[in-house]
Amino acid sequence: MAKVKEKPVMPKLETRAEVIIPQERSELTGGSGLLHTEIMRLNVGPQHPSTHGVLRVVVDMEGEYVKRVEPHIGYLHTGFEKTMENRTYAQNFTFAPRMDYLHGFGYELAYALPVEQLVGAEVPDRAREIRVLLVELNRISSHLVFLGTGLLDLGALTPFFYTFVEREAILDIFEAIGGQRLHQGYFRVGGVAKDTPDGFEGMVKKFLDTFDAKVDEYEKLFKTNPIFLERTQNTGIMSEAVALDLGITGPNLRASGVALDHRKTTPYSGYEQYDFDVPLGTHGDSFDRFVVRVQEMRESAKICRQALSRLKPGAIQDPNRKISLPPREELETSMEAVIHHFKLVTEGYHPPKGEAYVPTESARGELGCYIVSDGGSMPYRIHFRAPSFVNLQALPVIGIGGLFADLITVIASLDPVMGDVDR
Amino acid sequence: MSSLVTALEKAGLREYPILEGKIKTVVAALDTFKAFLFECKAVGFSLCADLMGVDYLEYTEFMPERFAVIYNLLNAKNGERILVKVYVPDAIKIPTVTDIWRTAEYHEREVYDLLGIEFSDHPDMRKILTPEDLDGHPLRKDFPLGETPTLFREGRFLDPSAFRAGLSGKDTGLSGWRGGSRIDSSLIPKLPTAIPVSKEK
Repeated sequence: MAKVKEKPVMPKLETRAEVIIPQERSELTGGSGLLHTEIMRLNVGPQHPSTHGVLRVVVDMEGEYVKRVEPHIGYLHTGFEKTMENRTYAQNFTFAPRMDYLHGFGYELAYALPVEQLVGAEVPDRAREIRVLLVELNRISSHLVFLGTGLLDLGALTPFFYTFVEREAILDIFEAIGGQRLHQGYFRVGGVAKDTPDGFEGMVKKFLDTFDAKVDEYEKLFKTNPIFLERTQNTGIMSEAVALDLGITGPNLRASGVALDHRKTTPYSGYEQYDFDVPLGTHGDSFDRFVVRVQEMRESAKICRQALSRLKPGAIQDPNRKISLPPREELETSMEAVIHHFKLVTEGYHPPKGEAYVPTESARGELGCYIVSDGGSMPYRIHFRAPSFVNLQALPVIGIGGLFADLITVIASLDPVMGDVDR
Repeated sequence: MSSLVTALEKAGLREYPILEGKIKTVVAALDTFKAFLFECKAVGFSLCADLMGVDYLEYTEFMPERFAVIYNLLNAKNGERILVKVYVPDAIKIPTVTDIWRTAEYHEREVYDLLGIEFSDHPDMRKILTPEDLDGHPLRKDFPLGETPTLFREGRFLDPSAFRAGLSGKDTGLSGWRGGSRIDSSLIPKLPTAIPVSKEK
């Protein structure tokens, strides 16, 4: 008589990272035991809906548990930095918003600030307030995409439709002001391209009046959902020390409890005059990263309201004709204006030799543009400190140890934009 | 400011010049800069925000060496920031800082990929952004831009004018595909319409 074999006791699935995979030889595998020890290599992407673009992740899995994660990037590398080194400073405003297509105004501002520092341009108050207003509206729209697609990755289809309604309202405002929905190219060195259209303030006000109630609605959609809580709480935990070591910035760092916001610590573009809070997380898990961004939307709306109330009629560009183009009507009466216009369009301005870097707070983290000028009309070297590029490094660190489904949650909660990663 | 001086004194490098500006810049020497960066982290610059390289080949002013690597350090508590600049000669490996800040791993790979500055003791010194078989480092000033064919390994290349001609449909372009069938119909051997049947049985 064959002896009845004792069944291997499966460990209880309580702490996911510490599950021990049974190594006993099993009759099911012909006594080889290979079924349990084989590591499967899974290729996620580059064309996968939950990788937010063209991120390719090679995952080593033991059963359903992730052992090693290796992101492969570069599929969207377009050599923006090299191209920008061969264009004039004014032309480069076309390239800036195309890197991070979800937070384009943030990139335009990050590019404008160091150039203004180099040429010594003065930005009028009205232009600064328009800039802050647009950057914050853009931050809201970026976080709305994050929330919609992030929850879509977790299988929740409905929030996607809710958030995109509000995003459309913001994109309508952008279309009214810059003519395009995503890549406006609206900022200029020393101000903005043109004044706001009629009815602009009414559009923004109408949007802001109803927005806070909408955020409450979004929170209701996911914050108490048991499936969402189960999938995000205590997954992808990033401690403060790990986050700093990995150079994480922005909402991902603030979810780990570090109050670093460049709008507060090193204010730029007049952010010191605005009253807003910096939402912080406590655990640094995926749930905190979702919640911090939703709270940030409220703070951004607060800043937008203040910027709208501060918006007074006035100049929108530096009056220095060596930097900003003369108004259209001047070209018909003034020879000087025609000469300036011709010189600016064909050759551009020549900032003095020097280097400049201004850190700004993008929707994804610290965004800065390092410009080396050799005195020519084109930047000698231009380098973008792209927040998504750095934040993606956290994936191999915090994505392992859990279930594969947790890895998808972690990718969604880190909010990488591949245009920003590859540039 | 004071924390920076403390770091300099601790590393015994008081002779490093500090360039005043919007952000303070320290020009460090190639052989001692890593000790200085280590002290910087100890005095509070806990975050290495950025690491970038510059190729000074065509710069209008004389520079000590061809390349420079700039470390952008940030104190996460108060937002204080310094830039540490190290001049690097051509074809010289410089020590990695991945053991001080793990974030430098991607940054150093990017600098290696785009500028060709190699970092010794880096755990994974591979290209990161450009295709694996691309020859050369695009952000070097002697890397051609525009009408020069882009070289890949094993003799393959991308000719810009042929590529554009292919897109506009005027020429066959790189793939020789102009829509429709990819195969030139004149090259396909014609099949006999009727198969001759052998009468011998």
